[in-house]
Amino acid sequence: MSAAVRFELRKLAAQWRVRALLLAALLGPIPVALVMSAQANPPKDTLFGRFALDNGFALALMLLGFLGQWVLPLLTSVVAGDSFASEDQHGTWKTVLTRSTSRNRLFWAKVLVNLGLTTLVLVVLAASTIASALLVEGAPALTGLTGQLIAPGHALWLVAAAWLSVLPPLLGFTCLALLMSVWTRSSAAAIAVPVVLALAMQMLGSVGTLEPVRPFLLTTAFESWHGLLTDPRFTGPLLEGFVVSAAWAAVCLAGASFILHRRDITGG
Amino acid sequence: MTTTPSPRPDGSPPAAVEAVGLVKTYGSVRAVDGVSLRVEPGEVYGMLGPNGAGKTTFLRMLFGLIRPDSGTVRVFGRSWAESGVGVLEGVAGFIEAPRFYPYLTGRQNLEALALLDGGASRGRVEEVLGTVDLADRAHLKVGGYSYGMKQRLGVAASLLRDPRLLVLDEPANGLDPGGIRDMRALVKRLASGGLTVLLSSHHMDEVEEICDNVTIMARGAVAFHGSLPDLRALAPEPGHLLRTTDDVAAERLALARPDLRVGRDGDTLRVAGQRAATTGLVADLVAAGVGLLELTPTQTPLEELFFMLTDPAGTAPTGGAAA
Amino acid sequence: MRRVLIPVLVPTLALVLALAALTGLAFATNPGSTVTKARLERALPAVFAHVYVQEQRLAGRTGLTVADLDPVAMCDRGGPSVADTGPGSDWVCLMSWQDPEVPMPTEGYGKFELTVRSNDCFTASSPSKLVGYATMTDASGKTVTNPAYEFDGCFDPDTSNTPTGHTFPSLLSLTSTTAQVDASGHPQVQLGCGTGSDGCAGTLTATVATADGSTGRSLGSVPFDLAEEQVKTVTLPGRLRAGDSQVVVTLSTTTGVGSSSPATLAVQGATG
Repeated sequence: MSAAVRFELRKLAAQWRVRALLLAALLGPIPVALVMSAQANPPKDTLFGRFALDNGFALALMLLGFLGQWVLPLLTSVVAGDSFASEDQHGTWKTVLTRSTSRNRLFWAKVLVNLGLTTLVLVVLAASTIASALLVEGAPALTGLTGQLIAPGHALWLVAAAWLSVLPPLLGFTCLALLMSVWTRSSAAAIAVPVVLALAMQMLGSVGTLEPVRPFLLTTAFESWHGLLTDPRFTGPLLEGFVVSAAWAAVCLAGASFILHRRDITGG
Repeated sequence: MTTTPSPRPDGSPPAAVEAVGLVKTYGSVRAVDGVSLRVEPGEVYGMLGPNGAGKTTFLRMLFGLIRPDSGTVRVFGRSWAESGVGVLEGVAGFIEAPRFYPYLTGRQNLEALALLDGGASRGRVEEVLGTVDLADRAHLKVGGYSYGMKQRLGVAASLLRDPRLLVLDEPANGLDPGGIRDMRALVKRLASGGLTVLLSSHHMDEVEEICDNVTIMARGAVAFHGSLPDLRALAPEPGHLLRTTDDVAAERLALARPDLRVGRDGDTLRVAGQRAATTGLVADLVAAGVGLLELTPTQTPLEELFFMLTDPAGTAPTGGAAA
Repeated sequence: MRRVLIPVLVPTLALVLALAALTGLAFATNPGSTVTKARLERALPAVFAHVYVQEQRLAGRTGLTVADLDPVAMCDRGGPSVADTGPGSDWVCLMSWQDPEVPMPTEGYGKFELTVRSNDCFTASSPSKLVGYATMTDASGKTVTNPAYEFDGCFDPDTSNTPTGHTFPSLLSLTSTTAQVDASGHPQVQLGCGTGSDGCAGTLTATVATADGSTGRSLGSVPFDLAEEQVKTVTLPGRLRAGDSQVVVTLSTTTGVGSSSPATLAVQGATG
């Protein structure tokens, strides 16, 4: 297993798209923070948007709310969607599967490596966003979602926790991209479908009459951090989001594993 | 995952490859139709057949890349059902053109693949690169490799596993004449080292040169099965095309020999018979003062046999200059 | 083309179908919206207390605390015919609180308009009369954003949904600025009943206005009964004569609250 993981890591490390992704996560937030702070009117229609022009914490949270809609799913599917499909594209399934590596081992190695990379990208993106937002706009006390003032020292922890709370649904999207990668054998489709699906779920979840669907959507968990910023705090949606994300991930991985094990490797 | 290969009842080691009744259908096409064959340890075995005969499908089933509809294949006594991927222990090779990660260099590809085998020393990677004569190109990305270089890298990647059974699918395919010569020399060298080699090809001469036993496949089924001497016994007599200074006299002399069959290929005289008969005719021509301008073998007998076995309508060309 | 499309289309379609099935399942087991009247009635005062105290601090008042304010709210969505549940931009909340320096108006509350989203968060805009405008002057004389003018809040969807029991009466008001004369010479005025617990009921009395302010000829009185958020035109039994230019209208309420001081309206339209 560890051999297969090291094999996948070595391939990832050599790919420009992985480097570009990490670089984008690291540097992307800087221009975004600069542009936001130069706006004349605050984007009040997004949560924390009304404070986003003069409070770094609020800006970091507003961006989190905004990114969840499609940027985060895109970030994870860029690499995960390519993971299995690229073996088809390069015709290398036969190269690896003729080397005493079972499909099972290779499958889980790819899953592990992609979950790990997504976690790394999120951590880099969160750190960079929070740091740039605070550097550009300063760190005054933050008005929480119960109107309470949160001292900067405490706000920093809460904002970081809010960013990390989107990891479960994000990993859910990673698994969705992996499923599409196995199933469609096309990188482009496996990158596009999760992003489109994220937007569709976002839309479904925001239509009032479709409210019963909300709890089952992966995108709902992207908003479960709201409870961290209220007083008193509530964590019900976080737990619910965790369970829903785990269910999505399990279904996607089971489907992907099933398809990969059954298929005949004829190409390449 | 490892299972001890079960020895045969008589105590001898199990066959390197033993296929029994392998069938694989795609829709209404029976790509492999009840193929059974047996490759003994240490032999060089040829699998011969035109493109689409089912050789590659057979090899994919051997490597577990596709699942047979029925039948079993055992490698050194292990089957996929019992041993899973353990079947491939001691087995290496490639199917169709070997493929690599284009964004890695040749050396990086080998190093990465070596990880899957449990790691190989730096020295071993350099050694196999040297064996296939790629040492000076190993620092280049595979994306820029020529077909022949990839083919050689495929052999290197296989050797990295220190296999007991090497499976090569059309190793000379797509190579230029120089490349073909080098590849054949390489396979010969490897085979002489005691390695069991299963070689698929659609070139009779490639197989004829190095194989002990052959299976000829046509349309998914086995058309011939046996040793090369057995195959040669089936072969028609070798034919030659003749150009002389006096074709009329030459034809008369040829017809005078009962051990030769004589025909015409357009304007050119064609004779078929045992080697002694043909050399006898040459002596007759010289004695009669007929100048011999050209004596060209037609297709080799085995090639002719190959076409006969694999072409049902029997429309195989019997004339034309051999390559 | 088919070879390329099918492997992509089939999974995509399968996913869409799965999502549709999920939607069906969700509706079959519909637990009801998390956005409810009771939860808003608890959440809004909690948020408002904080932002109001913040506003007062900015203005230089330091004594006021969240606990002192003790706000109480009653929420309603879209009038009596709409169920008080679910996200939407038609939520109205009436809220009263204790600030000795800013007493409540006669009806006893201020009216807040809410946009509630399905993610259990809302944006509320406050009544300017009581809370001020979008910007304010802080203690040092700078113009700053008024934190209580418009504010966001979120609530826990798992909190208690038992009714708070807070009620406020509807506010009755004359919505017409003139008395319209109908074809047969009767004056008509329009009444509006605001959001509240039971609507508005009572009697409307009108007289013809006189130049010296003495009580003029009676135009009679009419009982009225309006549901909350309803507007109704009331026709008086008496007729106007030529030369009657203004009428004085007095409202007395038995349900709901309204100003009981007489209002003078100009007559508009032909008088017999």
